[in-house]
Parts: sequence; C-alpha cells; structure tokens
Amino acid sequence: MVLTHRNVEGIDIIALAGRLVMADVPQVRQKLLTTVEQGSGKLVLDLADVGFMDSSGLSVLISVFKATRLKNGDVALLNLSPTVRSLIELTRLQQVFSIFDDEAAALARLR
Amino acid sequence: MAMTRIISLSIESRPECIELLSRALHGLCSLLRLPAEELAKVELAMVEAVNNVVEHAYGFEPAHRVWVEFELTPERFGLRVSDRGQAMPPERLASARGFADPDPADPDTWTLRTRGLEIIKACMDEVEYQVRDGVNTLSMSRTLAGAAARQSA
Repeated sequence: MVLTHRNVEGIDIIALAGRLVMADVPQVRQKLLTTVEQGSGKLVLDLADVGFMDSSGLSVLISVFKATRLKNGDVALLNLSPTVRSLIELTRLQQVFSIFDDEAAALARLR
Repeated sequence: MAMTRIISLSIESRPECIELLSRALHGLCSLLRLPAEELAKVELAMVEAVNNVVEHAYGFEPAHRVWVEFELTPERFGLRVSDRGQAMPPERLASARGFADPDPADPDTWTLRTRGLEIIKACMDEVEYQVRDGVNTLSMSRTLAGAAARQSA
C-alpha cells in the first residue's frame, strides 16, 4: 500500500493506493496515527485508488477517526470506490463517517 | 448439463499470503464472467473467512496451512475455508446477526472487531461451520445473479 501525504492550509490529505487489508494494517495505522498526532487532527483520506478493503482495513479508519476526535479534529473520506463504499454501507458506518466525492467539499467540511 | 468445477488451494497462515487467494479468485471470476459486484462480495467473504483463520484459529502463528476450495457452477459460487487450528465456538455463527446502527456520538458502537462473520453472512447466501477430525471448515455459497450464470465459451 502506498500513502501520499500533502497539507493544504493545515489540513492533512493522505491518498492511499492499493489494497487496505490485514497485511497492510500495522504500517497504515502507524502512518495515519502519526499524521494525526503531529498535525492539526483534521484529515482527508483520499481512497480513490483503494480497490479493496476488508474489515481490518476499515478498523484502521475507525482508529484514525477516534484519534482525530481526541484532538477535536475530524476525518473526511474522499472518493470511495464502489467496493469500499459497499463495505462501509454494509457495516452502516456511513452514519459515522463524513463522505465526499469532491476534495473542495471535504476541505470545506474540515475548515 | 453444466459441469461442477472444483479447485483447491492452500496458503501459509500469514496475512501477506491472503492476497494470493484474491489473485486466484479474480482469475476464476473472469473465467465465469462474474460481474464486478458479485466478485466483490465473494472476495470480501473469502478474505474475511481467511482473516478469521489467521487471527483466531492460528493466533497469527505462521507456518500453518489454510485450505480454500472453490466450487464453480453456472448458478452458484461455493467456497470452503478449512484449518486445523482453534475451532470457533459453535454458537458464534448463529449469533452473527448483522450490524446495528452505530451511534455517531458513541465511539464504542463503531467497533468492527469479531464482525467478520456478519460480513460473510451478508455477502453469501448460505454459511455453515463444521468441525470434523480436527479440521474446521466454513462453507459458503452465493447464488449468482441471472446474468452471471453462464460459463465461458
């Protein structure tokens, strides 16, 4: 899994590419939690290039979301593939996550 | 009359090996011309089942075997995931009854831990668990949508 990090006006944006599954969980969780810890706690996760995610990968997103809340921040999920959107809806977590198809709208939510 | 085709694979009980099964599944599904949404459900069920074996049956110990058998017919896709590790409590499968609505204000309701079986049951039409002679087997099948029920030429 490849993670690409940039920052826009104090908001961290991380693009993930590949499969977010059990084998990738330790590396991805550490990277994302470190970003939250060192940053503002406002995070956009661009999942456009995540073609498959299992429940362990989704657990990482939940961990990161909880970490941002502890910093009074928030997470916005951006550009979900149909497969990832299906998993989130299956687990009903669309009621928890803020989900966007447009980066500008995601940034506006976090400002 | 269409023939049932069966293929069996096994991997070592390491998370890094699970992707090999996904790659094989994609190949099989292209043979069946399975639509992407059907493939996604079967793949998610398979990965969750093997994740459960790696984590719960073998406790993340490597060097054990996980066996996956694919049973292909034009009408249904069958999967059997077997291991020789710690068996699942027999009541666990029946108690997996789907997902409750999480409370956005209560992080304790967002957990996904031990929810792999719920995901499997949501993705597959039939799910059974059997322990016999020290081998634990989770059997799953999904009836394919009409357009998917055709074999390659």
